[in-house]
Amino acid sequence: MNIFRFAAEDGPHIAIAPEYLFSIGGVDITNSILYGWISAVLLLGLFFYLRKSITIQGSKGVARVFDALSEFIIGLMASSLGSREKALRYAPLFVTTFFFIVFNNWMGLLPGVGPALEYNGTPLLRPYTADLNATLAMAFVMIIIVQTLAIRESGIAKHIGHYFQGSMKNPMTYAIGGLEMFGELTRIASLALRLFLNIVIGKILISIFSYLGSSAAPLTALPFTLMELFIGLLQAYIFVVLCISYLAVATSHNHNHEEHA
Amino acid sequence: MELFAEATNLVPLAKGIALGFGVMGPAIAIGMIGTAFMNGVSRNPESSKFLGQILVFVSLAELFGLIAFASIFIIK
Repeated sequence: MNIFRFAAEDGPHIAIAPEYLFSIGGVDITNSILYGWISAVLLLGLFFYLRKSITIQGSKGVARVFDALSEFIIGLMASSLGSREKALRYAPLFVTTFFFIVFNNWMGLLPGVGPALEYNGTPLLRPYTADLNATLAMAFVMIIIVQTLAIRESGIAKHIGHYFQGSMKNPMTYAIGGLEMFGELTRIASLALRLFLNIVIGKILISIFSYLGSSAAPLTALPFTLMELFIGLLQAYIFVVLCISYLAVATSHNHNHEEHA
Repeated sequence: MELFAEATNLVPLAKGIALGFGVMGPAIAIGMIGTAFMNGVSRNPESSKFLGQILVFVSLAELFGLIAFASIFIIK
């Protein structure tokens, strides 16, 4: 390699949006949807396989990690929802979301994801969480479920009433209540954007540094890949914690006890 | 004329300014969150168990820096 040609080639492959692969019955299938299906099937298989090794006397082998992480999420829910039985009622949704996001984030760091494997000139695989459509869908579903659970727990009139706190004669109450209701839409956007941008910017960082390193790419990209391992876990934790706290705020008022942090 | 257009191309400058000022705020915010956390821990060592909540606040501040980073791909 000529030293004067260092980092002088075309730039790295940077794609913010997922790319079109093929269509099934008029529905366009992009590379992120394809990888999302693959990782969902792998995750299902993994959990069906691990199901046998989790016993009441404690779990064995790899299942211990999954057991500890599930227990961590349930403990988190118990501390913010108030009681363990309430946490166990909502646990399946949040634990599944946590593992799905972590698994997708980490699957995106495997070699072969990105421009390495191509189909008709476009990269075949792209991490599912590096697609704004996917994270928007996840955030939308989570907020809808949180609203539904809150309405089921306290009734629709009481649920709408909890946005309007204060004296009903004061016009400021209506203005603040309207802003609070609008805030639900902001929550969807912020949940989706946070997860998407963290993952896609991590991908861009890794591709930029492996391009700058040219022949020493494995060395220069390694620290950023390790950082992405941590960020993938952290972002899944934050997504779940924020959803839990939205649920806790939406369902706490009918018990009339102080919300403890 | 093409040379003139190339010489007065302000797009890279705009991207640099947008990214630089955009990440400045979150950087200050994360520094302040860290300062507050370390102050709290040094006054009361038991409060180090709130590290998980600190990370949530860090991510709330970080979002705006990430939006600034994403917006440089929109500037044409």
